[in-house]
Amino acid sequence: MKPRLGSALLFLLALFPFAFLLLLSVSQRWVYPDLLPAGWSLRPWGDALGRGDDLGVALLTSLLIALTVGAVGTLLGFATARRLSLLPRGRRWLRLAYLPYVFAPVLLAACLQFYFLRLGLSGRVAGVLLAQLFIVYPYAVILASSFYTSRLRDMEDLAGTLGATPVEVARTVSWYLLRGPLAIVFFQSFLISWFEYGLTLLIGVGKVATLPLKVFQFVNEANIFYAAMAASLLVVPPVLLLWINKRLLFVTR
Amino acid sequence: MEGYLDARQISKTFGRERVLNDCSLQLAKSSTLSVLGRSGSGKTTLLKIIAGLETADSGTITLDGTSLYRVPPHQRGVVYLYQEALLFPHLNVFENVAFGLRIRKVPEPELRERVDRMLGELRIQDQARKSPNHLSGGQRQRVAFGRALIINPRVLLLDEPFGALDARTRGEMQEFYRRIAAEFRITSVFVTHDLKEALLMGDRLAVMEGGSLTHYASREAFVADARTGVAAEVSFWQHLQLKNHE
Repeated sequence: MKPRLGSALLFLLALFPFAFLLLLSVSQRWVYPDLLPAGWSLRPWGDALGRGDDLGVALLTSLLIALTVGAVGTLLGFATARRLSLLPRGRRWLRLAYLPYVFAPVLLAACLQFYFLRLGLSGRVAGVLLAQLFIVYPYAVILASSFYTSRLRDMEDLAGTLGATPVEVARTVSWYLLRGPLAIVFFQSFLISWFEYGLTLLIGVGKVATLPLKVFQFVNEANIFYAAMAASLLVVPPVLLLWINKRLLFVTR
Repeated sequence: MEGYLDARQISKTFGRERVLNDCSLQLAKSSTLSVLGRSGSGKTTLLKIIAGLETADSGTITLDGTSLYRVPPHQRGVVYLYQEALLFPHLNVFENVAFGLRIRKVPEPELRERVDRMLGELRIQDQARKSPNHLSGGQRQRVAFGRALIINPRVLLLDEPFGALDARTRGEMQEFYRRIAAEFRITSVFVTHDLKEALLMGDRLAVMEGGSLTHYASREAFVADARTGVAAEVSFWQHLQLKNHE
């Protein structure tokens, strides 16, 4: 009984911040010392999502950027990790992937800003996408390299000597062995992009509004109910991805 | 002399290290060449070059009179078996053995018949539905052999295939290999660092040392060469026997 009670308490504790955000997002006039808000309304949610308001656009922009950065970063990361695993001094080259992390993302953005302005990428979604890849791609390479082991390479080689073409090796062997790691790298890359603030603010110059930017905007305006609503939206896609990962990709066969 | 498998003056350098130094190898059809050598002597590199998994800096390889230059691994008909069985973890035993046939799009009834027969030959028919994780080391190696033999490879390259097994299982597998080598008339290069295994497995013998390969015309010539370590081994056992008599 006791372990079950402990688990339930832990579950409630983990759930509390999300439940509180949701509660706050449908509240009206909640002043000290009231335990509960004086009123409830779903209107802000309807306004935000139903009418194609700013928040709805920010949600779609964030989704577009994070999904693209996640997918491109993962594919490039695995392709690079595979290439590095074939090079005799691949581990040395891998050290280059740590370079972007010498700076904070904001500093990196400041360095990139000049070139992005010259290329006409500042203030555009494409610019933000490219800038975020500067952070996500090396991270994906580092993470993917840990999955690209000599054992996996030997298995691919063996499948080749058994008569499989490189495409067949990828389809019948590598995909099954790498789909879990691919999902992990995609999920991590998505998260980095999804919560990215400083880089997006500088390269987007305020014209590319993503959800994290909206949350900070509402916080700065002291609009806690809208900030809670934007923060709730910020939590939904990662939770959904986590659920998909668990249900579809890590099922024991 | 030209063999069924004929590799001539193969050289390979990694960085500043010369791993293979003008290695030549001739192998007759349906025979096994044992290559004895220490770790790092270049045995694996030579096998990988023959399999097409590594490129040679110089030299030529022909198989049944046809050059293997620029022939990709999947078209050579040369299967490379590692020390580890490397069974595909997402496939059960049956599907692992069937792998090469599925790649060749063999019709389902013929595929089932051939895989069942191979599992029978390897005496693992009762393991067909098991996952590779539920097999012993010896069973895994049997499946790896079955997966290779079912596609009738032209040459089998064995890179210390029993190196990871315990002494008893290793002995059983050596016996097993000799049986299937005769039954399937396998042409193979068997690489090992174990002196007894080299003597047991090979119809012909060679030693790899410092990137150079030395062939022996007979078993006697192999035994007589001090580099093979046979004399040292014999002396050790004789010395031990004398000590026991004292």
